[in-house]
Amino acid sequence: MSDAPLHGIRVVSFGTGGVIPDFGKILGELGADVIKVECKENPDFMRTIGADPDNIAGFNESNRSKRDFGLNMKTEKGQEIAKRLIKTADIVGENLRGGVMKSLNMDYESVRKIKPDIIYISSNGYGSGGPFSEYQAYGPMLSAFSGLLSLWCHPTDPYPVGANVPLPDHYASKMLVVAALAALDYRRRTGKGQLVDMSQVEMAANMIGEYCLDYTINERVPQPVGNRSPYAAPYNAYRCKGNDQWCAISVFTDAEWNSFCQAIGSPHWIKEAKFADLPSRLKHVDELDKHVEEWTLQHEPREVMIVLQNAGVAAGVLYRPAEILDDPQLRWVNAIVEVDHPVAGKRLYPGVPFHISDVTLPPSRPAPILGQHTEEICREVLKMSPEEIKTLVDEGVLEVSTRQQQEKK
Amino acid sequence: MSEHQEGALSVYRVLDLTDQKGAFCTKMLADLGADVIKIERPEGDATRSIPPFAGDVPHIERSLYFLFRYANRRGVTLNLETADGKKIFEKLVKKADVVVETFPPGYMAGLGLDYPALKKINPGLVMVSITEFGQTGPYKDWKGSDIVNYAMSNTMITSGFGDGAPVNLPGTPSCDAASLISAISIVTALYMRGTSGQGKYIDTSVHECSRLALYPWMLPMYSYNVNPGMPLPPPEGRLGAMIYPVYPCKDGFIRVVALTPRQWDGLVHVLGDPEVLKQPQWREFYYRIGNAADIFAVMLEFTTQFTMLELFEKGHQEGVPIVPIYNIEGFTNSPQTEARKFYSEMKHPAVGKFKYPGPPYKWSGTHCEAKRPAPTLGQHNEEVYCKELGFSKQDLAALRRAEVI
Repeated sequence: MSDAPLHGIRVVSFGTGGVIPDFGKILGELGADVIKVECKENPDFMRTIGADPDNIAGFNESNRSKRDFGLNMKTEKGQEIAKRLIKTADIVGENLRGGVMKSLNMDYESVRKIKPDIIYISSNGYGSGGPFSEYQAYGPMLSAFSGLLSLWCHPTDPYPVGANVPLPDHYASKMLVVAALAALDYRRRTGKGQLVDMSQVEMAANMIGEYCLDYTINERVPQPVGNRSPYAAPYNAYRCKGNDQWCAISVFTDAEWNSFCQAIGSPHWIKEAKFADLPSRLKHVDELDKHVEEWTLQHEPREVMIVLQNAGVAAGVLYRPAEILDDPQLRWVNAIVEVDHPVAGKRLYPGVPFHISDVTLPPSRPAPILGQHTEEICREVLKMSPEEIKTLVDEGVLEVSTRQQQEKK
Repeated sequence: MSEHQEGALSVYRVLDLTDQKGAFCTKMLADLGADVIKIERPEGDATRSIPPFAGDVPHIERSLYFLFRYANRRGVTLNLETADGKKIFEKLVKKADVVVETFPPGYMAGLGLDYPALKKINPGLVMVSITEFGQTGPYKDWKGSDIVNYAMSNTMITSGFGDGAPVNLPGTPSCDAASLISAISIVTALYMRGTSGQGKYIDTSVHECSRLALYPWMLPMYSYNVNPGMPLPPPEGRLGAMIYPVYPCKDGFIRVVALTPRQWDGLVHVLGDPEVLKQPQWREFYYRIGNAADIFAVMLEFTTQFTMLELFEKGHQEGVPIVPIYNIEGFTNSPQTEARKFYSEMKHPAVGKFKYPGPPYKWSGTHCEAKRPAPTLGQHNEEVYCKELGFSKQDLAALRRAEVI
């Protein structure tokens, strides 16, 4: 689609896991030609966590709207082909373990020699230039190193465990999209490319920068507060009717408190002096929470949310994915897209969550199967002859999806 | 002077009308060199009252939240609800590239300052509105807060121990998700403007961004488990402790992320090859998730013989990802954090000198770092209104008396 924002921009992605794959996906959804480089010996590790490498939800989400190039970079010829590909590119993205790109002669210093204006986006767990730069890392480890995890628990928990979530992966990826587009805009104006070197640990720390200041300014080590707030009460997740059903409620002002009391039917306890104002409610917050939960336990979480929101009080169900499919507001903005994947079939994915006036983004394309676009990229981008491609496939430098060949037959 | 070095976005001016929903958005642009002017009402932004405060002294210049999130901006005061205030804002818009606003739906339109009106003044303007739930739609007037937004993100229900209450994520993660998405849309629109010359209007909400962007794997993971003729998948539980186990050691806790059998073997080796850990089925990631409590009970004896740093370093040598669970002190004083100069020194008129956490990346060709502290209230009124818009000091005094600035 020629009017897509990033039409004509090519991205070569040496990505694995969450960060650079999600980064490439966003650029692909904005219309860039994103080429993912991997091979059977060294695939994106997300392909290896299930029975079928082409049928894994997380992989197929983070790799939509890309082409897949099967290339064995361990061979000298493979590195040479990667460089030919990069010569045609605007952006390189990588999040392999620190030092790996250098060992493949594909670090920024090597790449800029052949493509001086390249925008090179490097994102490692700990970032380059320190004693731990080459340490392998996954998202849930980076929240641990940064101090974020230490704050992500109830004060009574023996230790923090976080969530089923590789945080901060999906923050780092988006921050890098901002960086790549800013660098692209700078290059448009000046002709100059550059290296952006991210530490994902520092990304996690950026999410809690004010806590870092509590340490550097107040010399205090911040402690977890769980679901409590220093300036709102009630403020918690409250158990509701049903199995493991919860609704979050937050009441900040006296006006909200009055609306809240009315909405829950003005039970007798609200008149007690210890709940009369915010300082008192904060002082007796455990008792307050017990009273609130007596009410929420009688209702399903969605009912709690709707009754309170209609009264002007912030409340939200602790949603599970099945429930967001029915969310009227998300339906209103068409927030969810269905994409048909050759192996996984029709599945649901998050759409692009912003709306730019007069811009229609190209439809989301399914994640590629390994080596799916090797031949077309060789032909169209690298201008190789069919013989050359065949030789390189036979030598094991290029890899072509056997699934694709089966489909052709 | 670093002050005059060029950042990737130095040529752009951004008018910042954000609260928490957009604070991290304009911060990113400011860190990349954009001239971001934070516009506050004359009595100051509500974010200036967010505790804790420097020295625990509640004061509008001492909120740690404001000091972190609003660094690198210039600051002016302006009452948009006065006729003169509107006129001044329009003058600012003429010279700006981007406006970011986070008012409730319809507020800017009510002032006659919505995108169609501002576009007439400046056709190249990129304007972003970040709302809680959206500009339109059935929930447009609903309220959000950190815990409510995180609750609705799909992620809180999976946070914490399986048998305990779900736990909130610290900071403002849902607002940050909206901020990141908004910043992406802004640089996209600026890049497009480079060829078209035309501005754009962008509409996004915390609700949509945090549910779909905070952890985008959640929905597909569910969708992949819904298959015709098969029972629906069980409801999502809180599995953090099982998927990414945490173990106590001599001086704290470590977390292990061993996905492959080889990584598990590495862990066993790090712990001194005890026979009891060499059970073949334990090499499988999904087996360990299903039997996490039993394995945890056995592991304790071995992990507690080492320090966090010993296990971190041994893990690296043996090819198993292990990490210390640091508090802010541990992170701040880590040799990695120091080597990368993550913190830089900042000097603030009210707070004095302090160490400020910088952006999470280094740029080789352009400037990217924290260079000036968050503005004091109205700090740049004279600089912006007199030097740049041509008001006299007498004008300024009159505007102040009329509570326009």
